[in-house]
Amino acid sequence: MQSRPAPPPRPPRPRPAEPALTRRGLMGLAGASAAALGATTLSGCGGAGASTDPDTLQVWSGLPPESGPQSLIDRFQEAHPDIPVRYTRYVNDDRGNLKVNTALQGGVDIDVFFTFGIANLAMRGGTDIAADLGDRVRATPELAGLLDPDEPMALMDGDTITALATTRAPNFILFNDTLREEAGVELPSSWTWQEYLEVIDALSGEEGRHGSYTLPDMPRIAIGPDYRLTAEGDSNFSHPAFLEHFATSAQLIRDGVLYPWSQALARQVEVYQQNNFVAGDFTSWVTAPFSLRFLNDQEAYPHDFRVSAAPMPTVEDQDWNTGEYGAFIQVNAKSKKQEWAWEFCKFWLLEGARDMLKAGYMSIISDVEEDEILEGLLGEGAEEFFDVESFRHTIFDGPPKLHMDTDLTAYSEISLKYEQQRDVCWLLERSPENAIRTVDRNTQALVDRFAEE
Amino acid sequence: MTTTRTASADADPTTELPASARRRAGRSPADPRPVVGWLFIAPNLLGVLAFTFIPLVSVILLSFTHWDLVSGFGGIEFVGIDNFVAVVKDPSFWNGLWLTILYAGVAVPLTLAVGLALALALNRDLPGRGLLRAAFFVPYIVNIVAIGMTWQMLLDPSAGLVNQFLGTLGMQDLPQWFASSRWALPALILVTVWAQAGYANLIYLSALQDAPAQLYEAAQIDGAGRWRTFRTITWPSLLPTTIFLLVTLFVGISQTFGMIALITNGGPGDSTTTLSFYMYQTSFQFYRFGYASAVGLVTFLGIFAVMLVMWRAQRGRSLNG
Repeated sequence: MQSRPAPPPRPPRPRPAEPALTRRGLMGLAGASAAALGATTLSGCGGAGASTDPDTLQVWSGLPPESGPQSLIDRFQEAHPDIPVRYTRYVNDDRGNLKVNTALQGGVDIDVFFTFGIANLAMRGGTDIAADLGDRVRATPELAGLLDPDEPMALMDGDTITALATTRAPNFILFNDTLREEAGVELPSSWTWQEYLEVIDALSGEEGRHGSYTLPDMPRIAIGPDYRLTAEGDSNFSHPAFLEHFATSAQLIRDGVLYPWSQALARQVEVYQQNNFVAGDFTSWVTAPFSLRFLNDQEAYPHDFRVSAAPMPTVEDQDWNTGEYGAFIQVNAKSKKQEWAWEFCKFWLLEGARDMLKAGYMSIISDVEEDEILEGLLGEGAEEFFDVESFRHTIFDGPPKLHMDTDLTAYSEISLKYEQQRDVCWLLERSPENAIRTVDRNTQALVDRFAEE
Repeated sequence: MTTTRTASADADPTTELPASARRRAGRSPADPRPVVGWLFIAPNLLGVLAFTFIPLVSVILLSFTHWDLVSGFGGIEFVGIDNFVAVVKDPSFWNGLWLTILYAGVAVPLTLAVGLALALALNRDLPGRGLLRAAFFVPYIVNIVAIGMTWQMLLDPSAGLVNQFLGTLGMQDLPQWFASSRWALPALILVTVWAQAGYANLIYLSALQDAPAQLYEAAQIDGAGRWRTFRTITWPSLLPTTIFLLVTLFVGISQTFGMIALITNGGPGDSTTTLSFYMYQTSFQFYRFGYASAVGLVTFLGIFAVMLVMWRAQRGRSLNG
């Protein structure tokens, strides 16, 4: 068998250039990788559930969906089947709000978002992140009440409106009725500051029981909105109400009438006040409607006493309530679905009252009857654990004069300076005079530094 | 490590070239080692770039701006050295600086002292020595949240075990620990020392086992006592380790954030608002990222200067020269 001649050897292929990593190549690779990593991280900051679906309205809020938003959205879907809604819940704390802010500025698909608390509103309000809703609000007669210049319920700058309050949260004073009756104290339907002090003194007793956790924010009752700054924008902490508030509180802590601030700080009672009220550590409690959800939850907070309510005391004929308008709804300025977003905002503002009762939220615009509101706030079987009529009187008679701060200069910083001095004063480590003087000086320094911003 | 050189290598004309050119010329085109080498270090390099280099450069750039994050990158406003001027005028910065110096300045030497004492004790032939060594190291690896919650309970002013114990000794006016602006920082130092001493102990133990045995024998023959042996042999041989611990602990402790955020949140008042916590407040509570970056940069320069001083101070003082 003849063998076939071997094919001639192939000429060697030209060798590609050496694949060594040059410095420029390395930097390019690193830059691209960092960009990819950054993009991944940013989109991660958007949170689970964030979607970029252009055909879905994206709503972000701090409320659990089951506490009202979901049923509101279900009804919105019935009324607007052409606008699919996706609801994303964020945790309303520093980290949760940072996540929302990062997502908003990072271009995550958010159309409607909620802002809770004036400090967060101050931070988001001065930016271009929220759309101007001014024309839309003015074109909706039902919302005219939000724009009352004497009692604003929206964040306004001239004709520009970037946030609308959705709820009112009046503060009131709750009583452990068993302990109140033991102390022989009548439930007040209206009272002065002095009468209030006498009552909590009578309510404090032996076995380490205190008349109240804290006093109501007396300067707010006396001064009303924007109480921390004067009309000229300077510090208002030289107002005598602030000193009186610090001094009275310190004295009552010393006397055992108020809960000891050292224990409040050591046990972080400030964020779990309901536990101590249920345990009977203090007989009365200054709080807001959202706390009622703890008291109508017998499984998590079992207790055998009835709870009654009284309105806030008046201070020298001034009767501002320490509660405020809140849960601000805003539309992302970058949203491509402005019309849908506004339809949703209108629905929430005008027709969401009934749904939001479950979360302890009383809507500003509401056609819900008093009985239904009370049932929503106090839960089923309210008569067993609440003096329902006292709540009816406290929440609806008057009605309470709520506030909304609109001068937001260095809002968070001033709050912190105030709280720092409050703590050392109420720990009885610094005199009320020194503490208030320090707050006043620090606030004025902050105003001088940040007023132009 | 040895290097084999050949005669032909000596005759290589590339040896006349500069070093960098020699490296390039000496690399075989088919040799994959450079690429493989880069690939091995690429993950770490990318991590350093993404999480150290880029943030560091960003902080330097941001420190010359006003930025609130919420406005996006379009909201960055160049303000020159305004932030640094504000830092110098800011009483909260100076308070934070003082508290940081106090906190690290007390906690670090105490940690070293406790770590050294434990190491000297555990370097002896004790029953259950291994178990004891592990037990003292455990606080260092325990989660910060667990540490914070445990110590909060232990140091509760009225129901805490520590005050109950002090009460049984007949002590009056017991410390209020984290609920007092006077005691919060000392309490924080106590917890920090407890958490960090195990680490110092471990490092000292390894250094003690490397101490020159012949010197101890010579000292024993010369009749040196325990204190003299420690002062003239043990301590000088531990000096490099001490400096290492001093630097790493000072850097680490002066940056403490988690424990402060968890236990005191900077209070009561501003009694535990160290610079690292103040940076957090100005950035993530007040959204003044430019100013926070300036505070961070000044803090970094301060810590760097302290480190340099420490390194220079220890040069030539160790037993090994």
